[in-house]
Amino acid sequence: MDTTINHQADMTDLDPRPSAALPKRRRSKWAKIRKDYWLYILLLPGLAYFIIFKYLPMWGIVIAFQDFSPFLGVLKSNWVGVKHFVNFFNNPDFVRLLRNTLILGFYDLVFFFPAPIIAALLLNEIRVGIFKRAVQTMIYVPHFISMVIVASMTYVFLTTNGGVVNEIIHELTGQRINFLADPAWFRPLIILQIMWKETGWGTIIFLAALASVDVEQYEAAIVDGASRFQRLWHITLPAISSTIVILLILRLGNFLDTGFEQIFLMTNSLNRTVADVFDTYVYQVGIRQGAFSYSTAVGLFKSVVGIILIYGSNYFAKKFGHEGII
Amino acid sequence: MNSSKYDSFGERVFDVFNYLFLTLFALVTVLPFIYIIAGSFATEIELIQRKFFLFPRNPSLSAYQYIFSSDTLFRSIGNSVIITVFGTLTNLVFTLSMAYALSRRDLMGRNFVMNLVIFSMLFSGGMIPGYLVVKELGLLNTYGAVILPGAISAFNLIVIKNFFQNLPPGLEEAARIDGCSDIGVLWRIVLPLSKPIIATFGLFYAVGHWNNFFSAMMFLNDSKMWPLQVMLREIVMLSQVAVGDLSAFDPEFVEPPDQAVKMAVIVVGTVPILLVYPFLQKHFAKGVLLGSIKG
Amino acid sequence: MKGKRSFKIMALLIIAVMLMLAACSGGGSNNNNSGGSTGNTSSNTGGQSSNSGNTGSGSGPAEEKPAPMKISIMIPSFSTELPDKSSPVWQRLEEYTNTDLEILFTPNSSYEDMLNITLASGDLPTIMNVGKTPSVISAARNGAFWDITDYLKDYPNLSQAHPVVLNNTSIDGKIYGIYRARTLGRMGVTYNKVWLDNLGLQPAKTIDEFYNILRAFTYDDPDKNGKNDTYGVVITKYTGPWDIMQIWFGAPNKWGENENGELVPDFMTPEYREALKFFRKIYSEGLVNEDFAVMDSAAWNTPFVNGQAGVFVDVADNARRLDNAMQEAAPRDEPYTIVTQAPVGPKGHRDMPTSGWSGMLVISKSKVKTEEELRRVLDFLDKLNDVEMKLLLGYGIEGRHYDMVDGYVVPKENLDAAITQELTGMNQLLMFIGEQEPGFAPTPINAQIAEVQKANEAIVVGNPAEPFVSEVYAQVGQQLDNIIGDARIQYIVGQIDDAGFDAAIELWKKTGGDDYIREINELYKAAKGK
Repeated sequence: MDTTINHQADMTDLDPRPSAALPKRRRSKWAKIRKDYWLYILLLPGLAYFIIFKYLPMWGIVIAFQDFSPFLGVLKSNWVGVKHFVNFFNNPDFVRLLRNTLILGFYDLVFFFPAPIIAALLLNEIRVGIFKRAVQTMIYVPHFISMVIVASMTYVFLTTNGGVVNEIIHELTGQRINFLADPAWFRPLIILQIMWKETGWGTIIFLAALASVDVEQYEAAIVDGASRFQRLWHITLPAISSTIVILLILRLGNFLDTGFEQIFLMTNSLNRTVADVFDTYVYQVGIRQGAFSYSTAVGLFKSVVGIILIYGSNYFAKKFGHEGII
Repeated sequence: MNSSKYDSFGERVFDVFNYLFLTLFALVTVLPFIYIIAGSFATEIELIQRKFFLFPRNPSLSAYQYIFSSDTLFRSIGNSVIITVFGTLTNLVFTLSMAYALSRRDLMGRNFVMNLVIFSMLFSGGMIPGYLVVKELGLLNTYGAVILPGAISAFNLIVIKNFFQNLPPGLEEAARIDGCSDIGVLWRIVLPLSKPIIATFGLFYAVGHWNNFFSAMMFLNDSKMWPLQVMLREIVMLSQVAVGDLSAFDPEFVEPPDQAVKMAVIVVGTVPILLVYPFLQKHFAKGVLLGSIKG
Repeated sequence: MKGKRSFKIMALLIIAVMLMLAACSGGGSNNNNSGGSTGNTSSNTGGQSSNSGNTGSGSGPAEEKPAPMKISIMIPSFSTELPDKSSPVWQRLEEYTNTDLEILFTPNSSYEDMLNITLASGDLPTIMNVGKTPSVISAARNGAFWDITDYLKDYPNLSQAHPVVLNNTSIDGKIYGIYRARTLGRMGVTYNKVWLDNLGLQPAKTIDEFYNILRAFTYDDPDKNGKNDTYGVVITKYTGPWDIMQIWFGAPNKWGENENGELVPDFMTPEYREALKFFRKIYSEGLVNEDFAVMDSAAWNTPFVNGQAGVFVDVADNARRLDNAMQEAAPRDEPYTIVTQAPVGPKGHRDMPTSGWSGMLVISKSKVKTEEELRRVLDFLDKLNDVEMKLLLGYGIEGRHYDMVDGYVVPKENLDAAITQELTGMNQLLMFIGEQEPGFAPTPINAQIAEVQKANEAIVVGNPAEPFVSEVYAQVGQQLDNIIGDARIQYIVGQIDDAGFDAAIELWKKTGGDDYIREINELYKAAKGK
């Protein structure tokens, strides 16, 4: 019963105000800051971090408006205004890239985003502790396997030239499905790969949220005769809903980030029409050809879209009675 | 309390399917990794012929011999452990303290700081300015260059802040009436209640440090300071990409067993960090909340 | 009580962190001020950066001949155990060249990034290995490196540099660096020797023979197992083999001259279309693996080694790698593979070259201020091409790392790791220009490879546009390449016909191809006019 120890003697020096009394609602700002000085001390290291390591280098963004050359640096490189943005939007492939990116982002949101939540809820229904822990430990392993390996395995399993999956399909139907070359299969494959790789890892955060649900609530609900499903709906889900909403908002901020490596590895000459997305495009045009400015411009476009989506979804979350991220 | 006696028939059917489904899912996710472990002990020709699954017929340690042929690998494991441990501690101190301050809704300037954080999540100055900042701070060739530029992940910060906000408010109130200051509340009430979330984000940060090779390669000139992942990457590079280049003027260049080496590299690089999770799992057990308050 | 103590520890910890950060932010804001006002980070990094201690930024007047010149060199490294100044190889190198060297080994996988950062920091080493990337081109144009075009002739080794390769490495017609040479005619066709013997066939001399071998390997049971389980040539997602084979048919290497002396891209030539028809034919007849368009290139060797495919079109030295793998499965005295030059096509004997170089060593103007210093640096680079230095940096010290037997290098066996390390990575300093140094005694397969690669030098087809730096290509090059690259694969697998391929060419032109052709031809004319 540590909590009952009285710190009053110590605290009086630091906090002369009687804590219960708050006579006036409007105190001067200074007094408010003084009251919370511990909080500001806690805030300061983090704030300093963001200023030094995030905002000091922020000048790098201006190269989107230049023809940047590392040797000349930001001050001597040519200023070209919005040339790179104009080039990007006028690119004959822009509409296709946007379409592919949006569809893939949408699939990701609809199919992959809920997967860790469902997996965490299913795990939460397991009562045998050792089984639960074993499953948890196994399903998070693929997170550590690189995309190159995942793509290689996908080829070995799915190729029409002796891949196990196609051999089985052939036995059953007499036909083969060209998963890897058929544009119609590209998006499902991408989503399935990412589900296989990251679902287990994604459950960790929800399991942590579930760990803080008060066991007494369940016990009370059982006594009241609530079914498993009712308990799930009325106790478990509300307990993690705030985490879900936060992660959803943050995910929307990265909506246009489809990831580069996976798509790049799965693209080939026969499915490129559906596979090309902003990230692979920027890689090919920007990184490979050293066009710092161009890739920064495309990145800036993605960031602006992301920030709009974050604040927009944050607004709606609050409107529907959830906590936003702020 | 054993609750199964309250289960309906439908709930039992659900249980059966749930166990089956999770077993299947676990197998599908873990079998490829087992194959990789098995493959790391196989000979090159067995891997090319793909004639085994879980047990190579002629188990061989040659891939591991190749990797461990230098003592530098052990040093690099030590470096990785140092970076991971100190990096994660730094992350947690910075992130938890800032998240707690920001979780207090009445804090003046809170919205401004939150907007700053969110903005920095999406906009970044890029690699060259980042490098120059680290250089100007005199951090080049120190582990500070690997640890400090990633001291806080905005994503983690926001999720932790949200978690702190959802702690039962009554406890904090009570502590404050007892005379605790803000830092006292954080240390004595909030942190003990947040063990699952600390374990989770500690794990996220630790895995990030363990797998990071890019900033080590950028910021550390001295190869004696390199962590494991840099070493392993170089080994893989040497065993494939460089072969053409090297063999062009060195016809006797001994080509390393590249597939088995790649697999052994994955095993050496991931198993140590994989082992962390099972140790953290006890913090995810239910009832942590209650226990910490009553205890 | 316990609570109080932990409380104080926490407070101390936080104060410590704050102090640290206060120190940091001071440094940071300083940087911001000076960086912002003077605008040139190089002005304040040269003196205080942590690693510039012995780069000798103020190398001063290097008049007295005996004083070793301070030279820093940035080169890629493929290893994690690298030598330092205590290495006798390093010391001999300094002695021979009268220099005080700082070798900046940079991991190959991050080399490109480090190069850009080095360019941006303004603190360039004396010599650095660079490719012709946009940031290097821009740096060269803005005076970062010495133009050495007129100097090379004065040096015994450097003057022997291959003019074609030099031209390929040039930027706007000027030579800024000395290339690191690589085998130019590296390609070869590798066959499964056992299959050829079983069928009583010889490696192909002509394209018709090549086709017949592919057919026989597919339909005549070359492995004599009574099953129809083999095919001709294995190809993956990596399109290298198609690029090589179309040259056999007479297609130009990326760009070729038409009858008016203008450059046209390869795919607009009739020879290219002929090659494409051949590819389509061998694919439809099952002489190529059916899944080539999606095949993981990491698994390229597998079908050959496993006895499913019998032909491999790639670099000739792959014959050794394939043989090694097959020997491991079932050792035999003779090699399993045989490697030959490309078959002769309708337009004569032709093959694809490599670029012939792997980076070039450029000399920075910020470290080398005067022409006299430049002469000394060039002298250093020239000396690196002496046979003594090629042996030293490639094989080490005689009696310590290797012995000479019958004019061949024989490496010492079971060397201590510390002794091997003295030599590791030093070969990245070599340019391989001038007289050939002694090497290892060749094995049968290596002798074959060397022979093919030597003979190839006479038949490789250069790319006349290689020296040119195209603005259009920098902008849309990747898209242009994808349009044609994809159409080619779709044509081969039968998804589109000739009309479809023509449509792809039209799309290519509209996407920026017309501008690209115009630009390349302007550059071509300007270069020829000189």
